[in-house]
Amino acid sequence: MFSYTSRSLFGVSKHLKVSVPFRALSTPSQPTPEQNNIPSQDPTETSTPPAPAHAASTSSAASTPADAAPAPAPVAPIEAEKYSAPGVKEWSERLGAFDEENRLPRSVQAIYLRPLRRKAEHGLPVCNLQLRSYSVRNVEFFADFAIRAAYYLNLPVSGPVPLPRITERWTVPRSNFVHKKSQENFERITLRRLIQIKDGNPRSVQAWLAFLRKHAFYGVGMKANVWEHDSLGMIAPFFCIASTIAILTSFP
Amino acid sequence: MSMQFPKIPKKVNIAGFVNTRVLRDDKKRQVFAKYEVQRQALRYAVRNTSLPARTRVQAQLELAESHSYTRSTTIKNRCVASGTARSIFRDFKLNRYQFRLQALAGELPGVRKASW
Repeated sequence: MFSYTSRSLFGVSKHLKVSVPFRALSTPSQPTPEQNNIPSQDPTETSTPPAPAHAASTSSAASTPADAAPAPAPVAPIEAEKYSAPGVKEWSERLGAFDEENRLPRSVQAIYLRPLRRKAEHGLPVCNLQLRSYSVRNVEFFADFAIRAAYYLNLPVSGPVPLPRITERWTVPRSNFVHKKSQENFERITLRRLIQIKDGNPRSVQAWLAFLRKHAFYGVGMKANVWEHDSLGMIAPFFCIASTIAILTSFP
Repeated sequence: MSMQFPKIPKKVNIAGFVNTRVLRDDKKRQVFAKYEVQRQALRYAVRNTSLPARTRVQAQLELAESHSYTRSTTIKNRCVASGTARSIFRDFKLNRYQFRLQALAGELPGVRKASW
């Protein structure tokens, strides 16, 4: 019962291009585009379209959600299909309460949106961070994380720039001895992302790198080139020092 | 400062497969590391034409008399999984066959079967 109705609801929502699916906020991977709308309008918009369509598709158990849909929130149709424990409220109910009474913190809402960025004033590169991994997922996730962290540290960021992949290939005989004719190919593809910090404070750049090192993600290596710019005074005749800061042990 | 026969190391730095040849190779590495500076100094003395000829010949003799384990050329990479000395991949320190086995077992991160 539960699985059947939920599947049909999902199919309907996909078909109708409803903006906010019911359990979108409980699964953090899906972005919800309309976070900044007026929260009181959202649940009615989302709850009304699936109800008639649901009634059209499955004629058996359609009456309760169709009746209950317009009035309170997305709570009613989901309550109809779900087993409801007395003490613990459903995710949708809790999030609906969030919509009505109070909202999620802005920083939490921002997770569902594209990362915010600071504008670079001069565009002077200060730090190049290269992320490497063998899996797209990990490197994309961590690049996103790094960009968000840079925003909160007031660092203008450009990227992530997808650098060319490094493909290594090996060909080995299948057997341990002779039989050179039958061989096997193996490969290892390293994916790279470049994140560039522009005219940031060197101390906050260091803090950013330290933060990233502290929260290093599994399977993602980091390499940072940091440039420190100095005035052309008598004390500091050099202009630019380049130094490689952090090469983690997991650097592939 | 004549070079004696290198002392046999009491401890080994081996974490993988162990057999006599692996132990021997480990010993070579340790001895080479120990005498590397001395050896480089002697080589410098031999090649330095500003030094007196006697010193240079002495250095030459000392180099010639020193044990072969102090040379880096005796060191040979060995497979950490099987101890084999042939066809070792530097990236993995593995023999080609051990490499294949481990790659198929998914023990080498990022390595998979290729087809193109």
